[in-house]
Amino acid sequence: MLVRDAVGPAVEAHGLVKQFGDRRALDGVDLALPRGSFLSIFGPNGAGKTTLLRQLALLARPTRGELHILGVDALEEPDVLRSRIGLISHKSMLYGDLTAHENLEFFASLYGEPDQARIDELLRLVELDHRRNDPVRTYSRGMQQRLSIARALVNDPDLVLLDEPYSGLDPHAAELFDRLIGRVREDGCNRTFIMVSHDLAKGYALCSHALILARGQVVVCAEKQGIDAAAFKDLYLATVGMGVA
Amino acid sequence: MRIVDSARPKGLSSLAQYRALLLKDLRQEIRTREMLTSMAVYALLVLTIYGAALSQVGDKIQVVSFAGGLLWALIIFTSLLGLNRSFSHETESGCLEGILLAPVDRAIIFLAKATSNLIFLVAVEVLVLPLFFLFFLSGADLAGTTFYIALPLLIGTVGVAGVGTLLSTMTIDTRGRDVLLAILFIPVAFPLVYACVSATTVAFMGVEGTFGTFWTSCAVAAAYDVIMIAAAWGLYEFAVDS
Repeated sequence: MLVRDAVGPAVEAHGLVKQFGDRRALDGVDLALPRGSFLSIFGPNGAGKTTLLRQLALLARPTRGELHILGVDALEEPDVLRSRIGLISHKSMLYGDLTAHENLEFFASLYGEPDQARIDELLRLVELDHRRNDPVRTYSRGMQQRLSIARALVNDPDLVLLDEPYSGLDPHAAELFDRLIGRVREDGCNRTFIMVSHDLAKGYALCSHALILARGQVVVCAEKQGIDAAAFKDLYLATVGMGVA
Repeated sequence: MRIVDSARPKGLSSLAQYRALLLKDLRQEIRTREMLTSMAVYALLVLTIYGAALSQVGDKIQVVSFAGGLLWALIIFTSLLGLNRSFSHETESGCLEGILLAPVDRAIIFLAKATSNLIFLVAVEVLVLPLFFLFFLSGADLAGTTFYIALPLLIGTVGVAGVGTLLSTMTIDTRGRDVLLAILFIPVAFPLVYACVSATTVAFMGVEGTFGTFWTSCAVAAAYDVIMIAAAWGLYEFAVDS
C-alpha cells in the first residue's frame, strides 16, 4: 500500500539536471508548484522546456537531481505515478486507422479495465460523440487535438501536462481548445496543469504561475498575482534578451 | 487529508495490457494491410528474380542442394521490410509516447510487438512458401520431411521476430533506419540464419544419416532464440526509453 500526500506540492524538483553528451539541457532546475495551479513555461527555442516536460511526464529520467510528483518520488516509483499523469502534446498520440472510441478504449485499457461510461463521457466532453465510429485520420487537426484531450484524461490524471498544444491549430480550433481546457480545469478535480508554450499572451492568460527557462536554467518562477501581462512580457524580453538565452 | 491507495490501479494486469497492445496491432493491420501487402509483394518479386536467375541453370545443378539458402534469403529480406514498418503507426503521431506514458512494463510492449511481428511473418510465409516449393522444388519428394522443414522455419521465424523487434525499436528515431536495421540485424542474426539454413538444407536433401546435423542445427537455433529473446526482454526498457 502506498500512502499519498494530497496536500503537499504537485511538483517539487531540486537541482534537476539533464545531460545529452556534452550539452546540458537542464541545468539545476528547482521548482515547487502547489496543487490545483496552472504553470506556464516560457522560453526561447532550445531553452529546455520540452526536456523539462518530458522529465515530468516520466518519459525520460534526469541525469541528476530529485523529483517528487504528487508526493511520490518520481525516480523511485515511476509506475505508480504514470497512472496519475496525462500529456497533451502538439502530436495527437492517436492511431489514425482506429476510430475515436477504439483509440480511447485502447489507451484506457493500458491503465486498467476500460470504463465505457467514462469513455462515453469524455467523447461528449470533447464534442466528438457523433464521430465516435469514424477513423481518426478523417478528423481535422482541431478535432484530433480535442480527442487528444480525451485521451489524456482517460486515466483521470491529477497532473495534466501540455506541450505546445496550440501548435497547428487555427484560431477557431484554438478557441474551442481553450474552452475545453477551461471546462477540465473547472471539473472540481483540483488537477494541476503545466503547459509549455511559445505564445506568451495565451500562456500567460491561462496560468496561475509562470516560469521562464533559458539555457536550461530557471530565470523567473513566480505566481502571476500582481504582475500584469505587459509587465511579464517586458520581464520575458529583458531576461531572454539579456544574453541569458 | 491523506488518500490511501493501492500502488497499481484497479483492474490493471500485464496480461490485459499485452492483449490490448496485440489486438491493436492486429486490428490496424487488418484495416490497412500495410505490412502484409508490402512483405507479400516483395517476396513475390524475389521469387520472380530467383526464377529468372535459375532459369538458365538447366539440369547441371540440383536446386534442392541450395534451396535452403535461397529460402532463408527470401525470409530474411522480406522480414527486414516488415520489421522496418512495424513501428510506423506508433511513430506517425507520437503514439509510442502515448503508450510509454502509461504504467506498462516495457517488456510487455516488446512481447506484444514481437508477437504481432511473428504473426505477420508467419502469415507471409504461409502465402509464399507453397509458391517457392511449386516454382523451385516441384520435382523433389518432400512429403515425408514436412515436419523437418517446418521446424527450423518456425524456430528461425521466432528468433527473427524477437531480435528484429528489439533492433527496429532501437532504430525508430534514426536517420536512414531502413539501412541501419539491416546493418544491425544481419550480423546479430547470423548464427540463427546459419543454423536454420543448415537444418533446412538437410531437411530438403532428406539424406539418411545426416539428421544428426539437423538436430544440432535446430538446437543451436533454439538456444539462440532463448538467449536473444531473454536479452531483448531485459534490454527493451533501455531501448524504448532512450
